[in-house]
Amino acid sequence: MSPRRSTEGGRIDRGRTIRFSFDGKSYHGHPGDTLASALMANGMRLFGRSFKYHRPRGLLAAGVDEPNALVTVLKGTVREPNIAATQIEIHEGLTVESQNRFPSLDVDAGAVNQLAGGLLSAGFYYKTFMGPVVGPLRGTRFWMACEHFIRRAAGLGRAGRDADPDRYERMNAFCDVLVTGAGPAGLMAAKVAAEAGKRVILADLEPVPGGSAKWSGDTIDGLPAAAWAQRTIEALGAMDTVRLLPRTTVWGYYDGNTLAALERVTDHKPAPDKGEPRHRHWTIRAGAVVLATGAFERPLVFPGNDRPGVMLADAAVRLLREYGVVAGSRVALFANNDDAYRAAAALAEAGATIATIVDMRDTVSSAARALAERAGAEILAGHAVSGTKGGKALREIAVQRLREGEITGQPRRIAVDCLLMSGGWSPAIHLASQAGTAPRWDEALQAFLPPAPTQNWIGAGAFAGHFATAAALADGLAAGAKVAGGKPPRKSALPRVETLELDIAPAPVFAIRPSGKAGKAFVDFQHDVTAEDVRQAHREGFVSVEHLKRYTTLGMATDQGKTSNVPGLAIMAEARGITVPEVGTTRFRPPFTPVSLGALAAERYGELRPDRLTPMHDWHVESGATMYAAGLWYRPMVYGGRGETVEQAYVREAAATRAGVGIVDVSTLGKIMVQGPDAADFLDRVYTNKFSTLPVMKARYGLMLREDGLAYDDGTTWRLSQTDFLMTTTTANAGKVMQQLEYYLDIVWPDLKVALTSVSDEWAGAAIAGPHSRDVLAACVAGTAVDNDTLPFMGIVRGEIDGVPVMICRLSFSGERAYEVYCGAGHGLHVWEALMEAGKPFAIVPYGLEALGTLRIEKGHVTGAEIDGRTTGRDLYLDWMLSKKKPFAGSMMMDREGLCDDDRIRLVGIVALDDRPLGGGAHIVEHNDPAEIRDSIGHVTAGCYSPALGKYIALALVKGGKTRHGTRAFVSDPLRKRFGPVEIVSHHFYDPEGSRMHG
Amino acid sequence: MVEPVSPLGAAWKPGAYPNTAGETGLVLSETRPGSIVQAAAWPGREKTLIDAIKSVTGLALADGAGAGQVDGAKAAFGFAPGKFLAIDQKEGLAAALGAVIDVDTGTVTDLSHGRTALRLAGPKADWVLAKFFALDFSQTTFPLGAGRATSHHDIFAQIQRSGAEQFDLYVFRSFARAFWTALCHASEETGYTVG
Repeated sequence: MSPRRSTEGGRIDRGRTIRFSFDGKSYHGHPGDTLASALMANGMRLFGRSFKYHRPRGLLAAGVDEPNALVTVLKGTVREPNIAATQIEIHEGLTVESQNRFPSLDVDAGAVNQLAGGLLSAGFYYKTFMGPVVGPLRGTRFWMACEHFIRRAAGLGRAGRDADPDRYERMNAFCDVLVTGAGPAGLMAAKVAAEAGKRVILADLEPVPGGSAKWSGDTIDGLPAAAWAQRTIEALGAMDTVRLLPRTTVWGYYDGNTLAALERVTDHKPAPDKGEPRHRHWTIRAGAVVLATGAFERPLVFPGNDRPGVMLADAAVRLLREYGVVAGSRVALFANNDDAYRAAAALAEAGATIATIVDMRDTVSSAARALAERAGAEILAGHAVSGTKGGKALREIAVQRLREGEITGQPRRIAVDCLLMSGGWSPAIHLASQAGTAPRWDEALQAFLPPAPTQNWIGAGAFAGHFATAAALADGLAAGAKVAGGKPPRKSALPRVETLELDIAPAPVFAIRPSGKAGKAFVDFQHDVTAEDVRQAHREGFVSVEHLKRYTTLGMATDQGKTSNVPGLAIMAEARGITVPEVGTTRFRPPFTPVSLGALAAERYGELRPDRLTPMHDWHVESGATMYAAGLWYRPMVYGGRGETVEQAYVREAAATRAGVGIVDVSTLGKIMVQGPDAADFLDRVYTNKFSTLPVMKARYGLMLREDGLAYDDGTTWRLSQTDFLMTTTTANAGKVMQQLEYYLDIVWPDLKVALTSVSDEWAGAAIAGPHSRDVLAACVAGTAVDNDTLPFMGIVRGEIDGVPVMICRLSFSGERAYEVYCGAGHGLHVWEALMEAGKPFAIVPYGLEALGTLRIEKGHVTGAEIDGRTTGRDLYLDWMLSKKKPFAGSMMMDREGLCDDDRIRLVGIVALDDRPLGGGAHIVEHNDPAEIRDSIGHVTAGCYSPALGKYIALALVKGGKTRHGTRAFVSDPLRKRFGPVEIVSHHFYDPEGSRMHG
Repeated sequence: MVEPVSPLGAAWKPGAYPNTAGETGLVLSETRPGSIVQAAAWPGREKTLIDAIKSVTGLALADGAGAGQVDGAKAAFGFAPGKFLAIDQKEGLAAALGAVIDVDTGTVTDLSHGRTALRLAGPKADWVLAKFFALDFSQTTFPLGAGRATSHHDIFAQIQRSGAEQFDLYVFRSFARAFWTALCHASEETGYTVG
């Protein structure tokens, strides 16, 4: 017989049908079904193939702890692998395939691995990937050839290659109280906290909150527990101060009571609504946290415990009570505790035959006996299941006597199609483990309980080891009152609970050691880790719990030991002859369950990538500029679009600037207002040269060093009044310089009265360069003259261009007579267009970054390519800027021996003698052998074709610097397959006297 | 006077953009104030600076980061210890503040072009903002007039609650178009109107 749908019960809507596809075959289910429940209702037993051995696997659990039924969800060509079938809500059009099988789930070639079980045991990779140590392949990389096939044969699902088109979102939330888990304890805590006026977030990973109330069969306040939970949820939902987050897994607990959660917003829908994300990632900052995350039932470890049809007892109850699915027709129960007897009674009431109850304990309580009687089942006390039979579905179990943990006697064979097992319960302490210290072992419960809190959280319910509904409600009441800061609650505030009084404490036996050769007994189902693997790890010396985990993969990866932790530790404890707490446990890591990468990366790509645009951006684009991403900024590279190559375009732009006039957008330069009575003193301290002597309405070029004496940044600073300076920085370093200056003021010189403000975006900037630059300004600037007397080199004037106030500083990066025109950014386009109009009679050309770079290379001006964090002011021949009259940041360290060495690489010019380009990063060598990649004496920092010189030139940093002027060397650029002769010259290629920019 | 150009460019698309349910629960707009000015006091001179701001704007600010006031066309709030942002729909606020705040009291920095003022109004304003900023936007912790300085990815933002369901955001001009695009994207779920 197969699993089947019951005629009544569950929270599914039998009046409606949903069609979905699994492995290409169409199935139907009902609203409320998970993929697991719907497939079970369709008679399916086989859900997947195991990790290493490709063993047929059925459903083990019914919740987030399911390790076997991992499937791949398909959306078009997009694949999302390794999703537990128990966590997938079916919807119309859902398409799913099984994984880790070939060619099909039923007939899997990988099952041959079962024959090589011994080879694939613990440590397989570590041993195998060392390669053959004997034979003809010894010392070869043979294993690398095998690796591809080995990895394909073992594994989980396959990720797709197509981009994920879904939308993801991040969300921030603040609350007084975060309650994780909406079972009886969590609901009660949320209710009490909310009624006390606290802002509460209640998160639960299931689509329908209620936790165990949905399937316990208990009665609360005269209502079926599920109805009580529903009523409580509705009451909470009606409160403005409560945010309910169903389908939300709190997966990480971080410092400062900051928790991470993943909300699955639309996975259960055929299509999202407009603007709805698939997943929403929540960062929740909570004043207090109530951890009510429940517990996981543990499997028992015996040969054949992974056969489809063998499942956790609680899973069968959930399938029945939530989804109306009866897991089998002829059912056995194998347990070490009373609580599991509920499952036998429940399934019997649903029409299943309970063939037997196999209990490891020699004595069984009267309450459990009463349940067995209700189920019509015999109890085999002091027995254990020692084996199972069946191919892809359970057919028979073997039961033997158990004496002091050893199997004895002849097996009794019992025909069943479903075996329920229960090894007791492990509280889901993962979040507490992340947030705190080592968990505590509870001998009675044979379980690890949460550690003492190191942050403001409180545990409640099964999480705290209080499994009964009444105890959970009492915990929730107390926790809610505590986090609300109120008085301890009166007992009368507790709802009345009607339930069976069952002893939850299990017998301390988790694994049945077979008396002879028997099948594999699995501890970690997801990673195919067997009891024998754990024992082998012990034999091979991996006895520490940390080594055990890594050597066997027990409890690793997405599973995080939800079902396997305690049984694995118990087997190691037995092997070592010590107790479980002496073995200890590993700390659980985030995430508690897998988190989509999309949710973590949400909203920072494509059109949502933050970028910076200058006020003239649209003009550049409309004028045919090829835009270049410079950090977050977009800057024109060249204004092409006339069939020109990039080189042709920048050569044209640079040549036109030298011959006439060019204009470039310099709005991206970092700009910092330095204000206050101590501003000049401050600048003296941070720049290598003096600024306190700078007259008002004058600018000066400045160099900053790092505190270790290396060059940091350069730029001009304009004195606008006695106490106001406008500092400019390189585009790339604007943020870093601002941060460094703030550090100086906050930490180093807090006594200085200086205020810093980023005004990079306040000002639009246009640099006009070339012999006709003054003519252009003269044609459009009002309110001031721009002649040499009024506006000398490094002078500043204020005026207007076409009705817009502007500030003009005469300075030059290009080596030409040049001016920087600044105006309010909102007027940037207007002023730019006015300058272009005024420049028409002089054939003004806009130029981009490439021409800007060409002009500065020709002139020998340095920028970030040379101020690269490794060069000093002296390396760049900026010695003249290093004041000897005052201390400044970096001055104490700049004279260190290593920074003054004559053999340091220093700035030079390079001319290609073979008329070929010189690429940045290429090495300079003295030998003439292209095959020899050695003996570099320096490297090219930036190169270009110089229209002024008619040659390919570059700036470079070369050992000895100017001592090599006039010598020959070679450029060696093996990555770009470039080798050729060069001449080392002065870095001042063009107009070294500076006559063009003065006068 | 020449009208400043909005940095939003083609991303500014007035109209209604309802969600699947046909709702437009949010109005997004650019308020384009004439003046956005930062004033900073030297330690111990905060009260003098606050008095100076009041003398010019009529807005009485409490001492301390976060406190603020909104009054029609004018608004101001503290965003850091001793630092305030003052906004006026009219131009000239920087000059007016500069005239009453001397160098011994603090500094005045005109940011009228450097910051772009965006407004979110509607019952879902806090929901949409929570997608961007790690701030508690509830009325109790972020009351009317209060302001905060924060950032979204690389985008620095100053935010003031200017109504029960209304927030004014001041972002760096160069980031404004990117942020606006992200804001519209984030508002698709609730539906929105631009205008």
